Amino acid sequence: MKTKFIALAAGMMAATALASVPAKADVKIGLIGGVSGPIAAMAPAMIDAAQLAVQQVNEQGGIGDGEKLVGVVGDSACNPQGGTDAATKAVNIEGVVGLVGPHCSGAVLAAAGSVTIPAGITLITPSGTSPEISGLEDKGTVFRTVPSDDYQGRALARTMKEMGYGKVAVAYLNNDYGTGLANAFKAEYVDELGGDITQFAAHEEGKASYRSNLAELAKGGADTLVIFDYGDGTGLTILRQALENGFFDKFVGGDGMKSDAVINELGAENLATFVASSPVGEQSESLTMFNDAFKGVGGDPDAIFANTSYDAAFLLALAVEKAGGKKEDVAAAVVEVSNGEGEAIRPGEWKKAKELIAAGTAIDYKGAAGDHNFDAKGDVPGTYALFEVGSNGFETITEMK
Amino acid sequence: MELLGLVNYALFMAIFICIYALLALGLNIQWGFAGLFNAGIAGFFAVGAYTSAIISTPAAEGRIGGFDLHFVFGWIAAMLAAALVAWPIGKICLRFRSDYLAIATIGIAEIIRLVIKSEPALTNGARGISSIPRPVGDIGYMESQIAYLIIVLAVLIAAYVLVERQFNAPWGRMMRAIRDNEDAAKAMGKNVEFRRLEAFIFGAALMGLGGALFAHFNRSITPEAIDPMVATFLIWIMLILGGSGNNRGAILGAAVVWIIWSVSEIATDRLPHEYAIQAKYIRLFLIGLMLQLVLRFRPEGLLPEPLRGDQRATKSGADQH
Repeated sequence: MKTKFIALAAGMMAATALASVPAKADVKIGLIGGVSGPIAAMAPAMIDAAQLAVQQVNEQGGIGDGEKLVGVVGDSACNPQGGTDAATKAVNIEGVVGLVGPHCSGAVLAAAGSVTIPAGITLITPSGTSPEISGLEDKGTVFRTVPSDDYQGRALARTMKEMGYGKVAVAYLNNDYGTGLANAFKAEYVDELGGDITQFAAHEEGKASYRSNLAELAKGGADTLVIFDYGDGTGLTILRQALENGFFDKFVGGDGMKSDAVINELGAENLATFVASSPVGEQSESLTMFNDAFKGVGGDPDAIFANTSYDAAFLLALAVEKAGGKKEDVAAAVVEVSNGEGEAIRPGEWKKAKELIAAGTAIDYKGAAGDHNFDAKGDVPGTYALFEVGSNGFETITEMK
Repeated sequence: MELLGLVNYALFMAIFICIYALLALGLNIQWGFAGLFNAGIAGFFAVGAYTSAIISTPAAEGRIGGFDLHFVFGWIAAMLAAALVAWPIGKICLRFRSDYLAIATIGIAEIIRLVIKSEPALTNGARGISSIPRPVGDIGYMESQIAYLIIVLAVLIAAYVLVERQFNAPWGRMMRAIRDNEDAAKAMGKNVEFRRLEAFIFGAALMGLGGALFAHFNRSITPEAIDPMVATFLIWIMLILGGSGNNRGAILGAAVVWIIWSVSEIATDRLPHEYAIQAKYIRLFLIGLMLQLVLRFRPEGLLPEPLRGDQRATKSGADQH
């Protein structure tokens, strides 16, 4: 019995080894995401957006000498165990030239620490927002197309102060996203700007009622509730119950709260005092181009992190083209193709980019989610705007600095 | 190139199997020897991982530690901390019988997870701890994996030898006696409560060590790693499938389940492109199916518990006449 099982396992491995020998010279990139696990609802749109970039590359001439770009999907299950497993397979079995993902910060840290940094493979995460990722000793191989939570939290604090918000209470989801945003917000709002936070409380996701949390939050006499949560999940419940019970007058959300679910569920007429911050492409033309293209393949461009996923995949493709397919040069090329200097390339303009790279001209990718001019830590500063709810959905009030 | 990649992947799997085998060995002490239904493996795993991380990382702002000590101290501290956490838990919860104990330990693992997530001063909260040093981690990718595999393999072999010794020693027989017939053991003058607690603490210490090995391998530990699916139930499946009560079975179970868990993804990737996302769920299904089949056709596991009485009976041929 024992030998039978070992033989079976060995057989599976051998079959896999045979099957993984590529039939023709495809260039592969890994799309690692939390397909199963807690963000299973978000992951498909993110992976589809990345696949759109792959599709555009192939339609417009492919990589290098007409080779096909292939996106290999891996499941990180949003945990380090799955993240390292998927990354190891992508790097060693599939032989990818770079990774888009993993999606969750914990998986990014583990996959980078045990696989991609030692192996010298470039990793671009579209949604790992933890400030810990900035501090990795990554030899310049880890990037992200989503700004660190630290940046958004501080920008939101400055903007609110400028707009004259007074005492606020802060409710945040107890995960790396909510905690990161809330702490950065607090650091800037209280310590730097001398603002007043009356209550500062974490909450767990998925409860049916948050009324007791809200009653606690309302105690300090704040008229504004700042929510760092997801607008299609717990954040919606909190906002609804706060409105129903009249705990607060004004509401402010982070980018997770800028979800159409909020408007659809609560109605625009009830959200006159609700504002949310969200990243915007500095050149909204890029965003429009992505939105149209993504709608064209049946995707929902408003899905959270869809545009950052697309940018990550497109950037990686540009870098691979620039590096001539050499894995070890991809990381440096990522910075080169998006450093603010050179001819502007927008989403979907693969053919133009390919010609410019072939001619040796410098290019600068202006992505759907921002310009992505990476700093020394592989982070992007991000461009944020504050949105209010108007008759046509979310409308920009002001740029956040 | 292909071959190098395969070797790297095999090394990675071997390291993970060793780590999971340690966890399964710990569970085997608790369930296989003493019949304690611990469904909170993730909690002890996390205590070990975080303790070792705090001990061995360089000093950090905003949380306790790090103490920048050698990883060996971290691993020892991980075992001690897990044992220390297990002690009061065992003291209170071991009065429960099987399924009640399972419910209590699930709750405790969840408490530990939430504390880790919510106490930035202790564990850096939801962001977790990164830049944990990996022993011999500064050399190349494959070399560093080989070195780490040698270390975890040595740890696993040492743990196996010690646990196997205990299993065959009078202590092991006593534990099985308590498991199989508590009243009889009590009548023989055995201190059942104390022995149960012993098994619970030893098992928890091994789980803590497994957590520490995991954190150092990934160079980071975040609350996302304390997912009950991969840090509790997967280990239960390994032990049940491999054969509870048999240390070699626990290790074999870890190997078989992890290989199927990991390799099946490569197999499902051969499905057409449109099914790429759906295909990821097939391996969850496969693990479930495997467990069902084993429970139906081979409930004692691949390598069942060695029962001396049976062996003697067959050898003498007493039953065959």
